Amino acid sequence: MSGAGPRFAIFPTRMALTTMKNRLKGAQTGHSLLKRKSEALAMRFRDIVRKIDEAKRKMGKIMQVANFSYAEVMYTTGDIGYQVREGVKQAQLKVRAKSENVSGVQLPAFEMYVDGQNVSELTGLGRGGQQIQKCKETYKKAIEVLVELASLQTAFVILDEVIKVTNRRVNAIEHVIIPKIENTIKFIGSELDEADREEFYRLKKVQGKKKERLAAETAARELIQGDMASDDAQPNNLLNEYEQDPDVIF
Amino acid sequence: MEALFFNVEDGFLEAMVRGYKAGILTNSNYQNLAQCETLDDLKLQLAATDYGNFLQNEPSPLATTTIADKARETLVSHFQYIRANAVKPLSTFLDFITYSYMIDNTILLITGTLHERDTNELLERCHPLGLFDGIAALCIATNVSELYSTVMVESPLAPYFEKCLSAQDLDEMNIEIIRNTLYKAYLEDFYIYCQTLGGPTAEVMGEILQFEADRRVINITLNSLDTELSKDDRNKLFPTVGRLYPEGTMKLARADDSDQVRLALDPYPDYKQFFDEPVGSERSLEDKFFEYEVHLNKRSFTRQFQYGVFFAYLKLKEQEIRNIVWIAECIAQQQKERINSYITIF
Amino acid sequence: MATSQKDRVLIAAIGDEDSVTGLLLAGIGHMDSKQKPNFLVVDSKTPLPKIEETFTEFTSRKDIAIILITQQVGDEIRHMLDEYTQAFPTILEIPSKDRPYDPSKDSVLKRVQRLVGEGS
Repeated sequence: MSGAGPRFAIFPTRMALTTMKNRLKGAQTGHSLLKRKSEALAMRFRDIVRKIDEAKRKMGKIMQVANFSYAEVMYTTGDIGYQVREGVKQAQLKVRAKSENVSGVQLPAFEMYVDGQNVSELTGLGRGGQQIQKCKETYKKAIEVLVELASLQTAFVILDEVIKVTNRRVNAIEHVIIPKIENTIKFIGSELDEADREEFYRLKKVQGKKKERLAAETAARELIQGDMASDDAQPNNLLNEYEQDPDVIF
Repeated sequence: MEALFFNVEDGFLEAMVRGYKAGILTNSNYQNLAQCETLDDLKLQLAATDYGNFLQNEPSPLATTTIADKARETLVSHFQYIRANAVKPLSTFLDFITYSYMIDNTILLITGTLHERDTNELLERCHPLGLFDGIAALCIATNVSELYSTVMVESPLAPYFEKCLSAQDLDEMNIEIIRNTLYKAYLEDFYIYCQTLGGPTAEVMGEILQFEADRRVINITLNSLDTELSKDDRNKLFPTVGRLYPEGTMKLARADDSDQVRLALDPYPDYKQFFDEPVGSERSLEDKFFEYEVHLNKRSFTRQFQYGVFFAYLKLKEQEIRNIVWIAECIAQQQKERINSYITIF
Repeated sequence: MATSQKDRVLIAAIGDEDSVTGLLLAGIGHMDSKQKPNFLVVDSKTPLPKIEETFTEFTSRKDIAIILITQQVGDEIRHMLDEYTQAFPTILEIPSKDRPYDPSKDSVLKRVQRLVGEGS
């Protein structure tokens, strides 16, 4: 019965029962809340997964365009790779992370912004400058898509983690904590019943003893009264009046 | 006169160049190339042309850069053969041609030195035509002023450096401005040299170099619009030999937007037509410059007994390499719709 | 975490010469105070340990938000990508120039598909 399954180490008192009942209520509320959260996250998650899939495909296309525009630069200007790489000083394209709140989870969303001046603005001054600028714009657009994708991907990783944690909690509450509390409540209930029965039995026992004693005393008194009746011839004892009062039993 | 004595010294080489020129890919070659599905197909098609088996030892998959490198190698070997057999003044003329590559190489090395790169690695990236004796010595130089004082003064480019730059400039100026300043000095010098040669060489080369100068002027103007380059600085980069000089360049130096550039070019019918392209056209200004350049270079082959053919051959061949690489890129990246943007030579 | 995210402003890149150059052209390149770049050009001569080392360095840097890596290079260090689970910096596989993008190889996409497969 109540002994089966794990339970909290607690004295089976009425107060403990109340606490346990409160805890059960709390756990149930928590469970339903978490369950709802996990569902909300999962919804969001599926949304993101779909978007990632889409964006990855889009990226394939836009990168192709960007790479091709680089081929155009190679055609008109020749190899500028080395120069571009050596000209690197400060990043012009940067990202900043904003966070978005989804059911209490902070999801970062990257946002690209342009900061500082155009480093390679004079590259290809004598030849191919326009192609280079065009290529630059194309790559910028490509990076924009990449940044968006990166946000989705980060969200994906974080959400994945959070959902796992949430699900673990939901399961823990559902399968460990709630049964444990329930077990404890049952245990306390049964213990209290047991105590009740003991008490009842004890009372009964006391009552029985009392009755026995009462019966014995009544019998004793009847015996005394019988004696008094036989003593009628004797002069009146002043005290007799009082002796007729029943014995006071405390 | 020159027709009489030209063949004594340069006849053989001119014949060589005209022979090489016959090997330049024709329109039907390009059409075959453009049909290719993979780079290996392209390799097979190229094997049937004058390029022969130049890609034979390259492992598959081919990279477009390998094709470009190998094609350039064949061109360089042709040029070096001619250069080795040339005597003055043709040899000087050919040297002048290589100077433009030297400028690019030097700029590359300066950039690398500024960032303390391994100079040996840089040398590998240099254009083989632009290598000069002292260039290996650049590896020793560790900073720019050393580079300038020990190596640059010995190189053939020294006069250009002296003319317009000090060691301090090298440290501070934008590398692109240095490149264009050098190029301007080079173009002017080359032009003057061609004029001293006289005869048909002066005529043919004059036209080509003038166009080259004008192209630079227009490009610099267009590319420097809305940049930090001031109008004064812009003006300093304009070569003074082109047909645009001095009125056109003056107007261009003051131009604020592309409309003003167009306006400034109005009096020059040859250049005006470049801007008369309907909006949304696939062909850029740059493409049209290339086309015109090819046209000029092709025309130089119609004149005999002059050095223009050597220059023209080199330029046409470079265009051809660009075309091949373009086609190769289109195939590699599967962007066939633009594959026909190459410029046919013959 | 909030503060560390604010510092992450850079996009790093590992890939072949042309792809990286294109990205740099757009302006992602950055040299830090120690002249360390945030990009690596990989060619046929680049040794594998060098790629791995750079990758580890980028992932441990605090100023990088996104690492772009071309799929071709990604294949070389696939084991590292598959094991990578950190949220920051985000790793993004991009197609390289002459290879069409293959979604089935992408480490993240693989995870995505696995999860979707499980979920549905």
